[in-house]
Amino acid sequence: MAALLEIKDLVTAYGRIEALRGVSLQVEQGSITCLLGPNGAGKTTLMMTTAGILRPRSGSIRFAGSEIAGAAPHRIVERGIALVPENRLVFPHMTVLENLRAGAYQRNDAGGIVTDIDRMFARFPRLKERAAQEGGTLSGGEQQMLSVARALMSRPKLMLMDEPSLGLAPLVVEEIFGIIAELHRDGTTIFLVEQNAHMALRVAHHFYLIEQGRITFSGDPGSLAEDEVIHRAYLGSAKV
Amino acid sequence: MLADLVQNTLDGLTAGAAYALLAVGFTLIFGVLRRVNLSYGAAILFGVYFATWTSLHFQADLLVLALLTIAATVLAGAYVERLCFAPHYPSRGSPRAGASSGSIAAMVASFALWMQFEEAAILALPQHLYAFPPLHTGEPLRFGQFFLRVESLYLLLAAVAVCALLYTILYRTRFGLAVRAVVDVPVAAQLAGINLSSVFVRIFALASAIGGLAGFLIAASHEQVTPMLGMWSTVKGMLAMMLGGLGSLPGAVAGGLVLGLVEAHSQWYFGPQMRDLIAYLLIFVLLALRPAWMTRWTSTRSAS
Repeated sequence: MAALLEIKDLVTAYGRIEALRGVSLQVEQGSITCLLGPNGAGKTTLMMTTAGILRPRSGSIRFAGSEIAGAAPHRIVERGIALVPENRLVFPHMTVLENLRAGAYQRNDAGGIVTDIDRMFARFPRLKERAAQEGGTLSGGEQQMLSVARALMSRPKLMLMDEPSLGLAPLVVEEIFGIIAELHRDGTTIFLVEQNAHMALRVAHHFYLIEQGRITFSGDPGSLAEDEVIHRAYLGSAKV
Repeated sequence: MLADLVQNTLDGLTAGAAYALLAVGFTLIFGVLRRVNLSYGAAILFGVYFATWTSLHFQADLLVLALLTIAATVLAGAYVERLCFAPHYPSRGSPRAGASSGSIAAMVASFALWMQFEEAAILALPQHLYAFPPLHTGEPLRFGQFFLRVESLYLLLAAVAVCALLYTILYRTRFGLAVRAVVDVPVAAQLAGINLSSVFVRIFALASAIGGLAGFLIAASHEQVTPMLGMWSTVKGMLAMMLGGLGSLPGAVAGGLVLGLVEAHSQWYFGPQMRDLIAYLLIFVLLALRPAWMTRWTSTRSAS
């Protein structure tokens, strides 16, 4: 399989502090790839850099064969990458319907947008019930559904998801991972950041470990004992 | 006594409608960009002076003068936007479009352009006072013993029409959806594929056009212009915006009308020297107490 996303020697810094110190990884077309690592390892920075919100200091990000490192976020959406951001970031003062319309902002096919909104409502019936409600009034789980649905409205080829299970009840987490598997079956490539290593390893085809801004391990689930992965994902590789 | 109260209220609403229009333009820029544009009034001065200059040298229809004022104000606004605001848009590198060193730099730079516009206006038309073609030449409207200037009606109508137009844009168009998304969560708007700086540029142009319209109507109803118009527009527009709670469009209109009413009544009861003092005192008290309705908009935004 070919790599849909190919990141090489990526460095992103906040001022003088390098959050990514030469990250290289690949996301295969049609896969679910997972990035695990402790807090502050650079997971969100990597997502934000790939989506164009942060500008990398050096390195390359190739998507479907073309270089996108440093491109403006709206250009990256245009190419077919959508990010479901950490903490969901739904528009709190816009209705559920408007949130979905905003996700389709770059599309001009009014008919297709209406069809896709119906498809989102079929997939997430709770959103349909709350279509006229403001995003800020939804529960955490519903906001996560909305954030995923909003990202899908741009019809992405690659979906980046930053900690979709963060702060959600176990049952809702199950639901979210069900949706991830479903999206994958429908042909979307998924690059997932997770703290919940146990759940992530159940769906992922391939995973990377990131520690202190560097990739320290990569393999298939099963190539490393799960408790070893979990230990490193939460605490880093330093033995206690 | 009651008759005075009614007449003062009518006068206050007239001035208030002008303040409301000015405040709406101010609010649009502050609400979307979270930046204070100090040269807003000076750009209006530039537009009005351009129209005044034209009317002194050519025969020009009132409608032509109105369009010229708006066009020149938008041009001046574009100059301000490119020079002071565009270099500091948080398009990259900062995940949040909040207050930053960029917002201070933009504000200070816009103050410099205020001075530039004022000097340019004085160089072009050096007298202290010039006549501006009147909006209406007939008698004022009479309701029994009360008077209402027809110009006031135009100003009030324009304020209502501009608000209706803005609401249509914000809630019925694709551009409006983008604006509201940017106001709500800038990063999420970018992730949805909305080009932040293009939204900012268009908001700036829209606010400048509203400022130009306000400037034309104010000059044509005062029937004269002085270089003080820039300072006056900035101060009145900003006061009305603050009264209205910073960043809310209906608040800006209400703030403008309240400011006009407070001025009219305090002038009547305490004399013209006290008029501005009382208006400023009101702002001071409101800022010191910060009632919930005044900070509601800004606080919900930063909490999201």
